[in-house]
Amino acid sequence: MTTDPTPGTTRSLGQLIDRLHQLPGIGPKSAQRIAYHIAHIADDEARALADAIVAVKDLILFCDECRNLTDASPCAICANPQRNRDQICVVEESRDLVALERTRVYRGLYHVLHGALSPLNGIGPEDIHLPQLFGRLQNEDNPLQELIVATNPTLEGDATADFIHRRLAGSGIRITRLALGLPVGGSLEFADETTLSRALAGRNQLE
Amino acid sequence: MTLPRTYRAVGLTLRKSPVGEADLVSSLYTREHGKLEVLARGARRLTSRLMGHFEPLTLVRLSISRGRSLDIVAEAEVVNAFPEVKAGYTGVARGLYVAELVDGFSALAVSNPALLDLALQTLNAIGANPDAPDDDAGANFPLRYFDLQLLNLSGFMPELYRCVECGEELEPERHRFAVGAGGALCPDCVTPEDVVVRSLSLPALKLLRLLHRTESVERLPRLSIPNPVQREVHGILNETLQHWLDRQVRSQAFLDATKLA
Repeated sequence: MTTDPTPGTTRSLGQLIDRLHQLPGIGPKSAQRIAYHIAHIADDEARALADAIVAVKDLILFCDECRNLTDASPCAICANPQRNRDQICVVEESRDLVALERTRVYRGLYHVLHGALSPLNGIGPEDIHLPQLFGRLQNEDNPLQELIVATNPTLEGDATADFIHRRLAGSGIRITRLALGLPVGGSLEFADETTLSRALAGRNQLE
Repeated sequence: MTLPRTYRAVGLTLRKSPVGEADLVSSLYTREHGKLEVLARGARRLTSRLMGHFEPLTLVRLSISRGRSLDIVAEAEVVNAFPEVKAGYTGVARGLYVAELVDGFSALAVSNPALLDLALQTLNAIGANPDAPDDDAGANFPLRYFDLQLLNLSGFMPELYRCVECGEELEPERHRFAVGAGGALCPDCVTPEDVVVRSLSLPALKLLRLLHRTESVERLPRLSIPNPVQREVHGILNETLQHWLDRQVRSQAFLDATKLA
């Protein structure tokens, strides 16, 4: 949408502010601040930013196996022979995969849904990459032993986990969910009752 | 008289939207102030004392400070998180159906405590039978009761006792129903051409009247209603809700797509 520029600014700056404002988490003031910053940086820096945006759109695709964003399919994780092929961790977004990789604990494969079931937004199983997950598991060569559901502990994430669990009931695959409970550095006093009851349900023996 | 700087409210969370780095805006239906939109600062941070309080379908007690555009949550305490409703995706979808319609049929800061009571009773009924198939009366009746009573409490109750055209009392026979005309029609009355008319069987009319006259969802009788009648009543109520909302009920589309046999 192109509107008349705000008095004191130009049409091109106004367009940039409008575009930045459409990005998630960027309000009108932040959009204005970033646009003025871009106007002040060196030409080659601005071009590098524009080239990086274009490159993402030109080169990024979905991995045929895990649906993660990649520049070559299969992605580096799926193509890595060192990864355990008997474990798949299901995450909502690629950034969740990045967070899990940062732990350097998990060595299995992933499946990225790019969303979660959301009745309020009309997002059903066909609107996220669930059919691809079920198709992947039906492959006879698939050595899968465990499916780790790492969707967010939100209403939508829990509903997605339950949907996957019900669809795969009786498949012989062990289906697990990330432990839910108190965060490191959190305070028991202020925890809500759902978090506390889940923390109690998932308590571990001290060893 | 100036308004106090802080106030308290007990309300059911209907939806939440992320804002900025770690904040969220929660929409709630409260007993004291009707529908409110409040800002929960930092509520998306893992260590926030507000985290977990604003998941939809949670009854919370809040202390709220007045803000310039949005009021700001100072303290929150969970009263009832409806864990039985949230135990599976069907309960979640049915619960969010209630939340979506309460949100759609309410205006900001207009209090209607009976609407909150209706929503809470319906959530309790959903939680008592969260995995029942959609055509099971135990799952279907509380939702249809909610549909009709929501229309009633919001001032959109369809006429079920007299013909909306001639005003005559309806005889015990097969009738017709026109959402655009406001309710049931006797067999002979003519409606304007642009009003869509559907048939209304006598058992469906009786079921609609039963839902209207029952005092609360807990008092719904245990009846064995044939599936075609349940579907007819569901169709009429769904059409009426969409007519007044002026859009599709998104969670109904989700329920249809993930229907439990």
